[in-house]
Amino acid sequence: MKIKDKLITWALLKSPWILHFNSGACNGCDIEIVDALTPKYDIERFGMVLKATPRHADILVVSGPVTRQQAKRLRTIYEQMPEPKFVMAVGACACSGGVFNGCYGVIPGVDKTLPVSVYVPGCPVRPEAIIDGVVKLIQSVEGKK
Amino acid sequence: MSEFEKEEKIKGALEAQFPGVVSNAAVQRKNRVWLDCAADKLPAVLDWMRGQGFDHLATVTGFDEGENLGAAYHMTDTHMIVTVKARTPRANPSLPSVLSIFPGALSYERELEDMFGIKVQGLPPGRRYPLDDDFPKDQYPLRKDWKFVPPADEVEAK
Amino acid sequence: MSKITIPLGPQHPALKEPENFMLVLEGEQISGATVNLGYNHRGMEKAAEERTYIQNLYLIERVCGICSHSHTTCYITNVEEIAKAETPKRALAIRALFGELERVHSHLLWLGVAAYEMGFETLFMYTWRDREQVLDCLEMLSGNRVHYSINTIGGVRRDISAEQKAEVLKRIAYLEERTKYYVKIGTEESTILARTQNVGKLPYDVAIQRGAVGPTARASGVARDVRKDEPYLIYNELDFKVITHDTCDVFGRLVVRVLELVESYKMIKQILNGLPEGPIAVKVPMRLPAGEAVNHYEAPRGEDIHYLKANGTDKPDRVKVRAPTMANLQSVAYMMEGGWLADAPLVIAAIDPCMSCTDRAAVWDPKKGKTTVYGWEELRKMGIEHYKRRGVDFSRL
Repeated sequence: MKIKDKLITWALLKSPWILHFNSGACNGCDIEIVDALTPKYDIERFGMVLKATPRHADILVVSGPVTRQQAKRLRTIYEQMPEPKFVMAVGACACSGGVFNGCYGVIPGVDKTLPVSVYVPGCPVRPEAIIDGVVKLIQSVEGKK
Repeated sequence: MSEFEKEEKIKGALEAQFPGVVSNAAVQRKNRVWLDCAADKLPAVLDWMRGQGFDHLATVTGFDEGENLGAAYHMTDTHMIVTVKARTPRANPSLPSVLSIFPGALSYERELEDMFGIKVQGLPPGRRYPLDDDFPKDQYPLRKDWKFVPPADEVEAK
Repeated sequence: MSKITIPLGPQHPALKEPENFMLVLEGEQISGATVNLGYNHRGMEKAAEERTYIQNLYLIERVCGICSHSHTTCYITNVEEIAKAETPKRALAIRALFGELERVHSHLLWLGVAAYEMGFETLFMYTWRDREQVLDCLEMLSGNRVHYSINTIGGVRRDISAEQKAEVLKRIAYLEERTKYYVKIGTEESTILARTQNVGKLPYDVAIQRGAVGPTARASGVARDVRKDEPYLIYNELDFKVITHDTCDVFGRLVVRVLELVESYKMIKQILNGLPEGPIAVKVPMRLPAGEAVNHYEAPRGEDIHYLKANGTDKPDRVKVRAPTMANLQSVAYMMEGGWLADAPLVIAAIDPCMSCTDRAAVWDPKKGKTTVYGWEELRKMGIEHYKRRGVDFSRL
C-alpha cells in the first residue's frame, strides 16, 4: 500500500467517523444509535464521532428498510463519501427489510441499493451491537492490510 | 336507551337536522356513533357538527367496498367519537373537500387521492402525499384490486 | 428584501425521519411555510390486510420506535372490542404501566433532543443517561429496551413479579429526584428561557382549528388528554392532573412535558402498588366476526387514533393508523410563519416530531439563480450562533 493509503487507513482505524442515515425506519434503531453517544455506552471514547455530512464520514450507518423515496438519497449520500468508505446495515430492516418485507413502499434491505460491509441484526439493534459492528469492521480492514 | 343518552341525543339531532341526507345512524356503544351521509352534503354535516362541539376531526379513513369507494370522517368532541361515512361510486369517485371547516385535514384528503384515487373537489394544488413522486399516478395501492408484485431484483433469492 | 425559498428537510441528529418543509424567507424571517411529507411511507396499511391479527401486532408496533406501545395498545383495543373479548383487569393495568413508562422515556428523550437543538449538550447527556433507568425497567419487564411487545390479543404476554416491582419503584424514585433538577432548570434557567419563550407561538383557537394534539395543544391552554376525556385501560381509577400551560410557545411545551413526567411517576407508583390480581390474558379466536371499531389513546406526542374493520376472516379488512405527529404538522407551518429561521429547528423539535430526516436543505436565491445546500446541522448551528451573538450561550453552564 502507498504511504497515502496507509495513512488514510490508520486514521480510519483509530477514529472512524460515522454518518447516520435513516432510510425510512421506525426510529427504534436510530434512538439506539444516538444512545451509543450517551454516557452509558459513550462511543466517543473509541474515537467514533457522529458527523453530519457525508464528506467527513468513513462509515455510513444505515437504519430502516429503505423506502423508495429514501433510496435515491441514500445512493447520493454514498456517492458523496470519500474513499475508503464502508456501509453498515443496522437493524433487521436494514439487513433484509425486516417486518416491512413485502410492503410496496420499500426496497427491502440496504444491500439492494448499496454494497454492505457489515450487517448488525436486532429489532432494534442494541448500542453494544453497534459498537461491536464497528469494531468488527475495523478488524476486518486491519486484517486486509 | 337512557344508558346512551348523549349518544342518542346527537344521533337524533343529526337525523332531524339532515333528513334524507343522513342514514343508518346507530349508537354502537358508549361514546361511539356511526352514520352514513350523502357525499355532496358532507361539508354541511361536518360544519354543523363542529358547531355542536365536535371541533376535532381526528382523521379520515378511506375505504374500498367494491361497487363504492368512500371515506369515514372520525370526529370527536374529545369524549365521543362520531364517524360520518360518505360513499362515492367506483366508476367516478369524488368527494367534496372539508378544508374550509378543518384546515388540518389537508394531508388526510391528499391521502384519499393518492391511495384510493378519490378526487377531492376543492383541494388546492400541491405535492402528493404519501406516495413518492415517481409512483405511477393511476395506481391506487389501498384499493382492494391493487396487488404489489415486487420487481425480480428486489426479491430475496430463497 | 429578496425572497428565498428553502426546502428544509430537518436532519435531526437524534431522530432521523424524512420530511420536508418549504420555507419562504424574507431576510432572516420566515414569511411562509408548507409541510411536505411522505418519505417514510412504507405501505403498512396495505401490508396489514395480508397479515393475521397477531402478525399485525408486530407490524403496527413498528410504526414508531418511540411510541410503539401506544400503537399496539390502540390496535389491540380495536381487535378486542370487535372480538368482544373481556380483557382481564390485571392486563389493562400492566398495559397502562407500560404506557406511562413509555411516556417517561419519550419525554426524557425529547428533553435531551430539545436541549441538543439549543446547543445545551450537557442537558442532552444528563437526560439520556437518566433515560437508561427507564429502558432498564422496560427491558427487565418485557425483554427489550425498545419494541417491548408486551401486548398480545386478549391481554399481555408477561406478568410482573414482586422483585421486578421493587426494582422499578427504586428506579422511579431516582428519576423523581433527577426530575426535580429538570423542572428547576427548565423553568428557571435564563438561557433556556431566552431560546424558548415567545418562540413558535400557537394561539388557543388556532391549535384547535388545526387539530393540534398532546403537549403541543396543552401548551396553548387546550385542556385535552384522552386519558381524562375518554379514559381507557384503568385511567379512570388513577389520580393524576392534566398539565396545561398558557404561554402557547416552545417554553410552554417544555414545561408541559417536564411536569407530565412528574404525573407519570405518580401513576407508575399507583399502578404498581395497586396491581389487581387475576390472569394476564384471555383466549381470543383467530377469526374475528365482521365489525368495525375506532379507538384513541394518549401517546406521548398526543392523540393516536386507530380504525379497524374486520370481515369474519383471520385478517383485517382495513387498518388505519393516524399517529399524533400527523395531527400536529399543520400547526407547525403556522408556528414558523413570522419567526426567525434560527428558531426553525427548535420549533419543529418542540412538537416532538416522530420523524427524522436526512434531507438537506437547498437554498435557492432567485435573484442570483444559485442553489446552495445546507444541512439541518448547519441550520442548527446557525441558530445557536444567532443566539450567542445576543448573549445566549449554553457553553458557560
